[in-house]
Amino acid sequence: MFRKTVNIYISALFFLTSIVTSVKAEDDLVGEYLIKAAFLYNFAKFVEWPEDAFASSSSPIKLCILGDDPFGAAIKSIHGKTIRGRDLVINFISKAKDLEQCHILFVSASEKDKLAQVINQIKDTNILTVGDMAYFSHHGGMIRLFKAGAKIKFEINIDAARTADLKISSKLLNLAKIVKNDQQKD
Amino acid sequence: MERINILPDYFTKYRSTAPKALYLELGWRNFNPQAYFLHREEQNHETTLQGKAIQTTVESCCNIQALNQIRIGLLMPLFIIAFLFYCLLPTIVLSSEMTDLTELDLEDLMNIEITSVSKKPQRLSDAAAAIFVITSDDIQRSGVTSIPEALRMAPGVQVAKIDANKWAISSRGFSGRFANKLLVLIDGRTVYSPLYSGVYWEVQDTLLEDIDRIEVIRGPGASLWGANAVNGVINIITKHTKDTQDGLAIVSAGTEERGNVAIRYGGKRGDNTRYRVYTKYFKRDDAAYASGDEASDDCSTFKAGFRVDRQISDVNTLMLTGDIYDGRSGQRSALAVPIWSTINNEVKYNGMNLLGRWEHDVSDDSNIMLQLYYDRTERKDILLDEIRDILDFEFNQQFSIGERHRIILGFGYRFTRDNLDNSPSITFVPDRRNDDLYSAFIQDDIWLLKDRLCLRIGSKFEHNDYTGFEIQPNARLILTPGENYSVWISASRAVRTPSRIEHDTNIISPTTLPNGAPIMINVLGNDHFDSEELKAYEMGFRLYATEHISLDLTVFFNDYEELLTYETLSAPFLPPYTATSITVQVDNQMEGHVYGAEVAAKFQVYDWWRLQGTYTYLQMQLHPDEGSMGMTPEIPEGYDPHHKLSLRSSLNLREDLDLDLWVRYVDSLPTQDVKSYVTLDARLSWKPRNDLELSIVGQNLLDNQHMEYNSIQDYSISTEVEHSIYGKITWHF
Repeated sequence: MFRKTVNIYISALFFLTSIVTSVKAEDDLVGEYLIKAAFLYNFAKFVEWPEDAFASSSSPIKLCILGDDPFGAAIKSIHGKTIRGRDLVINFISKAKDLEQCHILFVSASEKDKLAQVINQIKDTNILTVGDMAYFSHHGGMIRLFKAGAKIKFEINIDAARTADLKISSKLLNLAKIVKNDQQKD
Repeated sequence: MERINILPDYFTKYRSTAPKALYLELGWRNFNPQAYFLHREEQNHETTLQGKAIQTTVESCCNIQALNQIRIGLLMPLFIIAFLFYCLLPTIVLSSEMTDLTELDLEDLMNIEITSVSKKPQRLSDAAAAIFVITSDDIQRSGVTSIPEALRMAPGVQVAKIDANKWAISSRGFSGRFANKLLVLIDGRTVYSPLYSGVYWEVQDTLLEDIDRIEVIRGPGASLWGANAVNGVINIITKHTKDTQDGLAIVSAGTEERGNVAIRYGGKRGDNTRYRVYTKYFKRDDAAYASGDEASDDCSTFKAGFRVDRQISDVNTLMLTGDIYDGRSGQRSALAVPIWSTINNEVKYNGMNLLGRWEHDVSDDSNIMLQLYYDRTERKDILLDEIRDILDFEFNQQFSIGERHRIILGFGYRFTRDNLDNSPSITFVPDRRNDDLYSAFIQDDIWLLKDRLCLRIGSKFEHNDYTGFEIQPNARLILTPGENYSVWISASRAVRTPSRIEHDTNIISPTTLPNGAPIMINVLGNDHFDSEELKAYEMGFRLYATEHISLDLTVFFNDYEELLTYETLSAPFLPPYTATSITVQVDNQMEGHVYGAEVAAKFQVYDWWRLQGTYTYLQMQLHPDEGSMGMTPEIPEGYDPHHKLSLRSSLNLREDLDLDLWVRYVDSLPTQDVKSYVTLDARLSWKPRNDLELSIVGQNLLDNQHMEYNSIQDYSISTEVEHSIYGKITWHF
């Protein structure tokens, strides 16, 4: 009887110790934002900007993240990667005036209320806008990442992309859900 | 204070370790006249009285059990080793592949699934009840070969193997082969038999690889359905056809799992229709008696089925599914009539079912569902032949009223018809019966504080052919103060309505007096047998500490009334035992309290190592009513273990190599003379190619054999669970 009680308590103790001790495991689960970061890398790979978007043939591709950062450590996986001779560089911005120098703008869900304003501000530029908030493409965002079950997929607003003078590779178009401006109900 | 019967010690030599054939006794449920003859010890103190059974009240609690030799030698070192391993881990460097996905093709990227151990509940229901989900991954990685084995992973469910093909499964007490307080559903079809309100688990086997999840919901108020969901609901949900769009071939063989072959193929017809078909055959070996001799309880079953999902339009889906099965299993039974005997015999069973479901989205947040199914079972047993048809119709609708109310309501009708072939041992009068069951329910989620505090109130209403109209209300308060944790508290009333076996039967069963004289027990049904009643009070707490840790704790208190007893009609059964038969009748003369706690925890230690554990604590106190002449009514107290612990470790050793270890500890069953046990299952799996998996599984490894259940509640003799090993090949094509 006593040995049995000891047995139970030891088992419970071991178990509770495992739970209570927190282990910092970084972002090495296949987390949502690790997948989304890889998507951003692919977007940079399969989208063509007009020649005057870059100062020289070796200028970096600037990926800007506007608003609260949802990526955390996951973004490190794409920072510094080389795409067609250009480095992919990550910037975190919070002020509207810094927007202009970006090539890709990821608009975080925290900027939900300012989205229309942001899209309007960059409408004459060649910036590729990406986001994962609801109605992103409704408001003129170009690529929206969304969850389908436990997988990540994306939709492309081709009218918005055409306005920004961006050429999207057929590789992306074939895999995306295509959205057009007049299809959207408001 | 408990009442126990202390018995003359000259009966001790007839304890259950002797060959069962000598005193097999009455089948089903809680009746165990043998208990009258069991000698019970309290610690090392023997109480003996010559020639007289006496009733004594004892102060100290009756942890009545034989000396338990727990394998402390095995349990302790195991945990110490695991603990040390865990502490030393930071020094081991293992490459983690999942930090950079940029090498992947776009198509592959789109196919990756987000994994998160502690998936935050999408629905309020997940945070608001004692619910534990056994995932498809859990089923595969644990190496279980049947649904009952998978249920061992859940807290609050007692699972004991009676013999190689029979199980005693219940939730929160009252376990037994004919446990009747648990509702089991497969894809919305109830699988308990209206004959005795229990489940023939041996025929419920389906292709485990196609099970999406098993939801184990403990407690009555959590379910919206069923007069049987007194202590809980087990909801088995198969995968949608879109997740089984390929071919699957499985072959396995082993020492106990003699052979198992299954093939499934899934495909599409056009854009909107997906289907799958499967067929499965398995054969399981005999287990062993306590003496070590081989039993004759082997079984084999053939099963085939299909599922079709069709997207009729954006807002309409149709699902059709069906199975057929045919099988047999061996058992050893004891009979009183026509000849006093114990014989090996075979049970044959076959059946089919067909279910259709239509769902329609009325608007963004409102939908309706219609479901119709037909189920036919045929069973031939030496004691009873049964043919049963069930036709069931269900409708439910969900919608919101304003911002604060979310309503679910529904109604249903079930028709059941049976055709029984009586035997001298079990007689049903009438031998054919049609029963109607009408049911309705309504539930309202009222948001007292938006997104924070919800009051859920609801009730089920039923009309059945035994007790008429029944109401089962419940109320629940759910608090979600933050994203990471929730607290809920609930109160419910539930009833377990009578089934055929309490109203219409006449059962004659053999048992033997210690002096060797045979005696017959005659159990009469009772047309006035009422529903058993439960008032349940529960409280739960759920925590997602980080993405890697989750904890789920539930405590409950169940207050039962009108519990089943067997009242002696003939003269009280006391020495000098001159009677040759004794007659009892079922009645509702017992009340009781059951309380306990259930804990479930998940810990993703590293991305390649996950720990999952559950612990269950259960205490039952049953009291016969004043004036009850029941025979050993409190026996069910000893049919469930007080403690149950399960710990699983899942290791991804390499991207193609997995190792799973599963340790289980189950406390003893005092009144059945079943000792506590610790056991270990281990599974090693290797994927030499993407579409091929080879695995080897060892089960019940710490012992040659052990007994899990020994109450002889179904006329058959229990056997012990042997250690076993099997190998399996899984091929996707």
